Amino acid sequence: MLRKPLYAFIFLMLVLLLAGCDAPTAPAEKDKAMEGQPAQSSSITSTTPAAVSQSTMQITTYQAAKNAEYLVAEKQTVAKSEHPAKTALELLVAGPRSKELVSVVPPGTKVLGVNISKGIAYADFDETLVKNNHSGATAEQLLVVAIVNTLTEFPEIEKVKILVNGKSVDTISGHMDTSEPFGRSEQLIKKN
Amino acid sequence: MPMKKFWFVLVILVSLLSQQVWAAPLDSSLLAPTPSVQISSIRYAVHTDSATGGKSLRVVLDVNGPVKVTASSNMLQDPQLVITIQGASVGSVANSVVFDGSIAKDLTILQTGKTESQITVNLPQIIDDSDYQVSVLPGDTAANKPFRVVIDIDKPLPLPEFTFTPGLRGKRIAIDPGHGGSDVGAIGPNGIQEKVVTLGVAMKVKALLEQAGAKVYMTRTDDRDVFAPNDTASEELGARSEVGNKNQVDIFVDIHANSFANPQVGGTGTYYFKKSMYDKLLAKTIQNGVCGVYGLADRGIYPANFYVLKHTNMPAILIEMAFLSNPNEEKLLAAPAFQQQMAQGIVSGIDNFFTQAAKLGVSN
Repeated sequence: MLRKPLYAFIFLMLVLLLAGCDAPTAPAEKDKAMEGQPAQSSSITSTTPAAVSQSTMQITTYQAAKNAEYLVAEKQTVAKSEHPAKTALELLVAGPRSKELVSVVPPGTKVLGVNISKGIAYADFDETLVKNNHSGATAEQLLVVAIVNTLTEFPEIEKVKILVNGKSVDTISGHMDTSEPFGRSEQLIKKN
Repeated sequence: MPMKKFWFVLVILVSLLSQQVWAAPLDSSLLAPTPSVQISSIRYAVHTDSATGGKSLRVVLDVNGPVKVTASSNMLQDPQLVITIQGASVGSVANSVVFDGSIAKDLTILQTGKTESQITVNLPQIIDDSDYQVSVLPGDTAANKPFRVVIDIDKPLPLPEFTFTPGLRGKRIAIDPGHGGSDVGAIGPNGIQEKVVTLGVAMKVKALLEQAGAKVYMTRTDDRDVFAPNDTASEELGARSEVGNKNQVDIFVDIHANSFANPQVGGTGTYYFKKSMYDKLLAKTIQNGVCGVYGLADRGIYPANFYVLKHTNMPAILIEMAFLSNPNEEKLLAAPAFQQQMAQGIVSGIDNFFTQAAKLGVSN
């Protein structure tokens, strides 16, 4: 007679356990900066399991907060393209959708292309990026990190080298060092 | 009543319960107990942060099940970082890895229990507890992605190679008025140019430092490009760093005015590149020195991957005095009285740096 409530208890515990296991898990963090990571079949890993249809993809760009203190991730769903990394930079250049954010890219800058080789993305812009760019140090740091972080959202990209008309540039507006490929920076991203 | 069945269910329940407790802190959805959790692979890479230029070594161990990790630094004899992985045995993974020695010398993996492994990382020098992070990233069974133990170790700052004495007398100081000549820098809404205000403040800093007995090396004393008009960025910025390097100055101070898309943004901020333990100190003392001049907002100090700061051999900072893009601050930056106060703040910050740095040298 004693065993019946025990069975009931066990059953209840099992149900609870299984329910607990079904709870949504936290979005998986990606480990950046690692070589030899198997390239994902899809070009974009979305961090939320939202229903993204086969003809669209989710892109995350990094735009500046109005107070110039940090970058904010802005997600948008757009039509799938053949060059998702280039599309991501075009969305970055186009500026934020939210009125609470501001663009750090000089207006009119064109994305010429993104080549990815051995984990390094070579992000090529036209001369508008550097010519008559009078950005202060703060804006320049946000701009470089916005480009790097937008591209390192893609699992196959670990580092980013900025080019202008296909050539390496050592700085954008005279403060930041852009002479080498650099990796993602988490510290400038606003954490919720 | 079949007793066997009861015990069977109880055993399953207990194993599930322990699994749940085990996995809970890892936020895992793993349900079935893994018969033997092993470290299946080890890899590493050096990461350079795009914002700060700081380097760190990241070691990743793949584990085919949930584990718990603890880490501690052992600085008593040879500096070491010891990471204990509870819940995994050493699989067929290599039991040692040799690094280039700049951030870590080598790493060994040892099985210290039936389901416990220990990783010992030998370090070239003592590190702070804030210089490393050890974490477990949850696996994804659906995507067949393993659990990962991630060890991040920041590149250590070189031990003090400078000895400083208090006071400004006899000190060799490089002052760099930002931009100049063909490079005007930022332009305010009323047309005030950055290259003009940086030179104005820098010349006042020079006068004050010389009065106090310091030897000042200017990258420019009039409106010109330091290397040549329309030179490349690396030629121009390299020429500025070189003024500090070839004159073997004690410190390098780069003076700038900020600019941002939103005209309401304002305040003072100071940037440094983490190349010695003195760079951050210099940023702190100068930021404190100018803080509150004309009620400007304190934006704080930031590590930054700035070309001139990186290419100078001595402690160096870049101060962004105020925002030219902010109409009020543009007016201030152009005013000689404001420039004088700013210069006094910078000089008192430099003086305080030598006081603090002298103490630092003694305690080390």
